[in-house]
Amino acid sequence: MSKPRRKQNWPLRTGIAIVAVLYIVAIFADFLAPYEHREQQRKTPSAPVSSLSFTDAQGNFSVRPRVIGYRLADALTQTYERDETRSAEVAFFARGYTYQLFGIFETNLHLVGTIGDGEDSPKLHLLGTDALGRDRFSRLVRATRFSLLVAPAGTILACLLGITIGMISGYSTRFVDSVLMGITDAVLSLPSLIVILAARVAFPLELPPFTAAVLLIGIFALTGWSEMARLARGLVKETLAMDYILAAKATGVKPLRTMTHHVLPNIASPLLTQAMLILPAFLLAEAALSFLGVGLQEPEPSLGNMLSAAADIAQLKLQPLLLLAPALVIVAYVFGVRLIGNGLKKDDR
Amino acid sequence: MLRLLVRKLVQGVLLILISSAVTFALLSNAGGDALTALQDNPQVSRQTLDELRRVYGLDRPVFERYVLWLGHAVRGDLGNSLYFRTPVAPLVATRFGSTLLVSLAAIAVSLGLSALLAFVAVRFRWRWMAAVNDVVVLFSASTPRLVLSLVALTIIVRLSVSDTFVTAAIVLAIPLVSLFLAQLVDGLDASMKQDYIRLARAKGLSENVVILRHASRSALNPVLTLVGLCLGALLAGSVLVETILGRQGMGSLMVAAVRNRDIPLVMGIVLFASAAVWLANSLAEVMQIVNDKRLRDTEAK
Repeated sequence: MSKPRRKQNWPLRTGIAIVAVLYIVAIFADFLAPYEHREQQRKTPSAPVSSLSFTDAQGNFSVRPRVIGYRLADALTQTYERDETRSAEVAFFARGYTYQLFGIFETNLHLVGTIGDGEDSPKLHLLGTDALGRDRFSRLVRATRFSLLVAPAGTILACLLGITIGMISGYSTRFVDSVLMGITDAVLSLPSLIVILAARVAFPLELPPFTAAVLLIGIFALTGWSEMARLARGLVKETLAMDYILAAKATGVKPLRTMTHHVLPNIASPLLTQAMLILPAFLLAEAALSFLGVGLQEPEPSLGNMLSAAADIAQLKLQPLLLLAPALVIVAYVFGVRLIGNGLKKDDR
Repeated sequence: MLRLLVRKLVQGVLLILISSAVTFALLSNAGGDALTALQDNPQVSRQTLDELRRVYGLDRPVFERYVLWLGHAVRGDLGNSLYFRTPVAPLVATRFGSTLLVSLAAIAVSLGLSALLAFVAVRFRWRWMAAVNDVVVLFSASTPRLVLSLVALTIIVRLSVSDTFVTAAIVLAIPLVSLFLAQLVDGLDASMKQDYIRLARAKGLSENVVILRHASRSALNPVLTLVGLCLGALLAGSVLVETILGRQGMGSLMVAAVRNRDIPLVMGIVLFASAAVWLANSLAEVMQIVNDKRLRDTEAK
């Protein structure tokens, strides 16, 4: 019965597709990025998107495009003009900086790059460069890693915590239940980002990437479990009244086993849908913290700290769409996860 | 009614006590205190530092300091901000006023828009209108405020608008539309199937009156709960919106407090925020009882 319905479930499929693409980008970030995310091209800060030309130096058509160079015309307003005298051929599977694929295979192969590595030959900037002359596309691709790791890890921890508290609350006596739910309601009603920021102050503001990731995951788990606990508690209460639980109890199944083997499988699906609501919230919280400079710090890129360049009005006026590219990635991820959530809900019915 | 008020009051006191105690414990134990930064200053000796700690009471145990802080807080004294060098309470109060005003405007905008969309959907029952509403819900739910405010910033820079009040209100309002609209459409759909709607129609009332006076009453209650709950979301949202649009409010004050490790200010903001959220939730509950007589009876029992 469920098979034909699943086939029609376009939100689930679309959502999974979007999220999968983003994770593939995150895994192959080094391969997709033409340049190292910290490499600065000092001569071309805030450069526009590289212009491509499908004609070779003699003006004949060629299938392989060339990157046309540009020169900083006015350093003050950061305007560039084309420099036809310099160009470089674009190539697929070009050699670039050395990295480790999956952390094991050492290679220097990149999806795209330019041939002719002279100091003066123009570079391929698919999204332009930032104020320090770093390739924005490479940084964007790299940025997906931190953001797409921290949010799900925080979600899993928060769900585990929330489900545990909810199940204890749903199973216990009235007193324990009301104390636990009182705390849950208190945590639930507080403004999330303000609580997260308050917790963040307790730790040094500047942290190395790994510590920052662990800290953010911990903070998200400790502040974001309350919705899950409320939902789990309600579902546990409902399920405990069912006959099959009574049957399990009558046959002498121990309470803990009843909870893990009889209750949990039956309430798993609404909990999963709820998790799909928590996940985008955490992604946004991570982006917000990095945006405010208390998440992942420069020079490491994250979707949030790339966006903070967009809050600079002068930069924003210069090239609005390029700066909003990380925003597009955030929206895509949130949209994808929401679609998955909607799809799962649809599947339930 | 009285029992409800007492219960709400106890809940509120507990909420504020728990949230302030946890924040206090967290902030006082880790990451050093306000004087840690002075340690590296060669002109400040250890003795001076210890002396300062004694004067400010930073050498006493956490619990004692919390009780002391609480005692002052009850009397309206939240101490001095280390960064702004002014008393915390009036500073947070003025900034909170500004944020509250924008938040109320945002609630009005989103509630008005969702009510209009929901009314049109239920009144005319056009097929495409339901689809439009679904799309509006999905998009408004998945466009984050961070992105919205940056887009808004691009627009106001282009148009060179200097007043950010309206912009901030709209940016804060958009994500709320998904909440209100989904709830209103569901609620109106459900109540339109009730017998009292058929009765109202049979009396010869026009469809507009049926929806606005009869169906909307029961559909409004869950929305009132949402309005009460969304103040928390708005305060959280104001952190980014105000920072990006350059408004002076509670959100941007929080960011300044965090960046400068201004712990008294952080405490003050958490206290204000939890009090405000509790007040909004309680108000929503009271309003529900005013709106729905049936709830009044169950409360009386």
